Amino acid sequence: MATGNVNHIASLDATQKKVSRTPAQEAWGRLIRNKVAVLGIILIVSFLLMAIFANVLSPHNPIQLNSGKGFLPPAWVEKAADGKKGEADFLLGTDTLGRDVFSRVLYGSRVSMMVGFAPTFIIIALGTFVGMMAGYYGGRWDNFLMRLTDIMYGFPDLLFFIIALISLRDTVIGQFMNGLFLLFFALALINWVGIARIVRGQVLSLKQKEFVEAARSIGVKDSQIMFRHLLPNVWGPVIVQGSFMIPGMIITEAILGYLGLGLKPTTNPDAFFITSWGSLMLDGQTSINAQPYLLLSPAVCVALIVLSFTFLGDGLRDALDPRMRGSQ
Amino acid sequence: MRKFFTLLSLLVMASMVLAACGTPAPATQAPAATDAPVATDAPAATEAPAYHGTLRVNLGSFPDMLDPQKSSFVNEIAVLKMAYEGLTRLDGDLNTVPAAAESWKYNDDATELAFTLRSGLTYSDGSLLNAARFEYSLHRNIDPATAGEYAAITDDILGAAAWRTCTESCDDEKAAVMESVKASHADGAACTGYEDADCNTLTLKFPQPAPYFHTVASLWVTFPAKQELIEAGGDTWWLDGANHLGNGPFVVSNLEQGVNVHFTPNEHYWAGVPTYDLDYSFITDGAVAFEAYKNNELDINGLAAEDLATVQADPVLSKEANIYPGSCTFAVMFHQLKAPFNDPKVREAFAYALDREGWVTDVLKGLGSPTLTWIPKGFPGYQDGETRWGYDAAKALQTLTDAGYKVEGGKLIGTDGKAIEITDTFSDTPRNRTRNEWLVAKWKEVLGIDIPLNPVEPTTYTGLTKDVNTAPQMFILGWCADYPDPQNWLSVYWKTGAFGERIGYSNPELDALLLQADGELDPAKRADLYKQAQDMLVAGAPVAFMWNNVNTYLVKPWVTGLHQTPMDSGWIGDNDPLSITVSEPTQ
Amino acid sequence: MSTYFIRRFLWLFPVLFIVALITFVLMHAAPGGPWDRDLSARQVDAGTQKVLNAYYGLDKPLWRQFTAYVFGDVSAKDGKFVCGVICGNLGPSYRVRGSSVQDILFKPPKGKSFEYSRFGYSLRLGLISLAFAIVLGIPAGILAALKQNSWADYLSGFISSIGISVPNFVMAIFLIIIFATGLHWVSVVPKNWDEVKAWVLPAVVLGFGTLAFTARLTRASMLEVLRQDYIRTARAKGLHERVVIWRHMLRNALIPVTTILGPALAGLVTGSFIIETMFSFPGMGRAYVTAISQRDYSMILGTTLLYVLMVSLANLSVDFLYVLIDPRIRLEE
Repeated sequence: MATGNVNHIASLDATQKKVSRTPAQEAWGRLIRNKVAVLGIILIVSFLLMAIFANVLSPHNPIQLNSGKGFLPPAWVEKAADGKKGEADFLLGTDTLGRDVFSRVLYGSRVSMMVGFAPTFIIIALGTFVGMMAGYYGGRWDNFLMRLTDIMYGFPDLLFFIIALISLRDTVIGQFMNGLFLLFFALALINWVGIARIVRGQVLSLKQKEFVEAARSIGVKDSQIMFRHLLPNVWGPVIVQGSFMIPGMIITEAILGYLGLGLKPTTNPDAFFITSWGSLMLDGQTSINAQPYLLLSPAVCVALIVLSFTFLGDGLRDALDPRMRGSQ
Repeated sequence: MRKFFTLLSLLVMASMVLAACGTPAPATQAPAATDAPVATDAPAATEAPAYHGTLRVNLGSFPDMLDPQKSSFVNEIAVLKMAYEGLTRLDGDLNTVPAAAESWKYNDDATELAFTLRSGLTYSDGSLLNAARFEYSLHRNIDPATAGEYAAITDDILGAAAWRTCTESCDDEKAAVMESVKASHADGAACTGYEDADCNTLTLKFPQPAPYFHTVASLWVTFPAKQELIEAGGDTWWLDGANHLGNGPFVVSNLEQGVNVHFTPNEHYWAGVPTYDLDYSFITDGAVAFEAYKNNELDINGLAAEDLATVQADPVLSKEANIYPGSCTFAVMFHQLKAPFNDPKVREAFAYALDREGWVTDVLKGLGSPTLTWIPKGFPGYQDGETRWGYDAAKALQTLTDAGYKVEGGKLIGTDGKAIEITDTFSDTPRNRTRNEWLVAKWKEVLGIDIPLNPVEPTTYTGLTKDVNTAPQMFILGWCADYPDPQNWLSVYWKTGAFGERIGYSNPELDALLLQADGELDPAKRADLYKQAQDMLVAGAPVAFMWNNVNTYLVKPWVTGLHQTPMDSGWIGDNDPLSITVSEPTQ
Repeated sequence: MSTYFIRRFLWLFPVLFIVALITFVLMHAAPGGPWDRDLSARQVDAGTQKVLNAYYGLDKPLWRQFTAYVFGDVSAKDGKFVCGVICGNLGPSYRVRGSSVQDILFKPPKGKSFEYSRFGYSLRLGLISLAFAIVLGIPAGILAALKQNSWADYLSGFISSIGISVPNFVMAIFLIIIFATGLHWVSVVPKNWDEVKAWVLPAVVLGFGTLAFTARLTRASMLEVLRQDYIRTARAKGLHERVVIWRHMLRNALIPVTTILGPALAGLVTGSFIIETMFSFPGMGRAYVTAISQRDYSMILGTTLLYVLMVSLANLSVDFLYVLIDPRIRLEE
């Protein structure tokens, strides 16, 4: 009897396992059925690999000058506007000092990937924490968040970046990581309120749910309720929002680089961050007649990576919240 | 819901209307051209009128200030010098020639200078222009209430520096300048005002001999803008084109901030009347300006190094490129008081290690010429054949070793065995990035020293380089002539307390020599003294002289008669606009 | 509800004050000052700088400069009290000396109307770009939703992607090369901003991002409405499809779109500095960026405050509109 009973339960358990997968698995399943999102993931992974292995993939050192080989057109061009012929050695041609454009674009992916991810992590961590506190405790935390939001929403983003980067670039934080740290910091500072607001909204509605009430009534600690019960339920919207934030930050870096406020140049050939797509486009803009590929190559890369993240974001949203399919 | 649609359609309509409002009838589209005196005079003439062209020039960014006594930027001067004229002007060979003043005369020790104005000189509206107008301009330039940004250029005048920097109760200082800048009749009688036709002499007094000051008088700070218009217009009198009633070859007929400045010929200009209108555009993006030029929307435009190869490969554009020497010298400045450059041997070594030819070919794309001296070619005081501290990789290392230095692991090891950090500081613009990346790569190649780059935001950089305490160890800086005289190159820059002091340069011997040269009246002797001074300067290798800039312009083939001078600042030939003719464009 | 809006409106003042403080601290943290010139120009003489600093009160301690800017101070010139930002005085420009910041931004050239001021130019460009974005974006979004997964949907998706992913300076230079140098449809540099066609390229480049965003938003919200029960009911009732689309779907689907109009306009008016450089457009966006590098302190503070005011008012008006349009929404904090 006893054995039979156990067997019965065990088999029930087994069937249940087979049928009902965790929500995360279901979401994953939905995500990989979305062709466009999968394309986005493939592109992002390729760009990530490109960024990590830029030093291996580059045919030349990106800061190696080649005297007399400035503004070579791409390898396949027989005769460019300035009468020069492409060299097989330089796939996408060279810039004004004869540096290989292909290698520079490869290295540029490092900054763009970093600028996409690093601030996003800061934003998510900070935004989730403050949003959770504001939503759960309300009162002072909530007031603080809402007032801060008013200020942040009022401050036009780009204007803030420009003045912050110009003002602080020659200070200690401005010098750190070739200026990248300051950039991350500024990007994160402006964007975290958005996440905090979303988390706050989610927590506010969850707080009323029975399981939270139940946990509270049996004396579970606030911190446990927040991390065990609330956190898992706010991940979805946060991840979706984060994936939409990444392309915005990559574009912003490109624009700031174009304004000369991005990464600082380096002379160290072993440096990890050597150039960024934004700075490359800035160079390319001035020499659009002599070497259009100096502008085109990074521009295409920025467009591709931004699109990939947008596709992924769309896919994630559909996958994590099937009800919201196709909406913003 | 209906409300929403109403709002939406209102919004859309509002923008349509706004756009449409901006579209007047075609007849009024070119008000500037119809206002021109030429157009209204033309019907009277019986013979077929000659083609009246418009010369279209891009000046870059729009001027912040168009006040002769306050302006200091190239784009500002380019506007002012068309509408006004000073006492003297420069000709195509950089000689100082009479302009509003017919002649000038120094006293025996060159401490007094008297200009005599042309008789019958008028403004573009025919009103009288006498010496009292110039007196006003110079007073206004020195007046601390004006606080002009170029005001210091007339400090040679007796009492000028004291009044200019005076902050309270300045009556005595003012009175002193009133005495040292004075308009009068030819016989010395006092002038009675701006209507006094016999008031044709302007006398300037100097505390020290200043035999070069007639050249300074060609600068825009002497331009005679009218006192009554300035006072009626208030602080922003210059925003209104009508207030620019001047004595130059052109008349401002339209001044629209941020968009355009249009000039028509001045019928009353003493030297003749230009045969064309002049039109300034303000395009800041180089790539866009180049497109505009190719599209025949501009007749004259600067040519950037990046576009040079494209232009030279193009059968049409290559014939339109004008490349000729400019007025600036650039050098790697070494801080004379900061290690390791306090040691002249290190400065020599770095100067030897500088491949100026490679720099000009690789970085400047040929738009520049290497130099080893201070005063550039084409300027009075230029010395041909200077060879000291020229590029020599072997000598560079030898000099370091001889002086007891070593290079180990990419570091310069001083005579005391300690490593010395060297960084290259520069103003962070895309152009400077590539330039300095090249520079340190070459030093690494020749000397084996790793020199990290230190890019600094441009205005911060300016702030740093101004003061001897904050000036970086090593940076590239240039000097461009204000006026073509060796005094402006040597005394204004290298005397103790002048610009050279920011890198800690002070040489009493040179000071003495320059003082002697500045006051010397005999031109030959004076030239020789300046030559000695420049020799002395180069000998100490205070900086590594590097290159002279070139002026580069694209000019459409229908614009002819341009006189190129190194001092062209706004655009090619702007020192002699009368010689230019604009014929009908061929598309 | 009116107390809610009054409270929101009053809260603008502390926001402006804090933004002014942040900006003030940041801009003074940057080394250099308004009299430092770029290196191609001759530097202003030290004695003259002293005179200028005294004249503009730049020799006073920083806190005093800040209060002088916000509340006002006694002028060094004639000892009279000059009121600060609280009276709408945005301060004297140090670069365009003699002009106040409000004159530079709002005062049209002599003899012209307000729309020829820098602000007027920017506002006109912003409105035209917004009109362009809405007029094309909404129909594109509707079409894409109604014909989901058709070529029209993909085309509109593709164009939106371009709008979102290509930086506008890249788009600007390519459009100039194609339409001005190549096809000669417009001139590269419009001399005369009274011509309609001069506005086309700048408005397109500026509005493209908003167009893409509007189209995406419209599509998404249409799809959302499509699945609603009342649409099914309406169709089941046998209502004509046109009636269903126009009367039932659009009304509801466009509510989210209205909410972006205000912020979008504010964003278009404030975010145009790159477009202004590329098209030599005489608006106010460039004034801000050049003011930062020139350390034209009043200009930086003045334009920042103006922008913040615009963005905040836009956000506020959106909330207001929202309540008007959709009575289901209750606003509370």
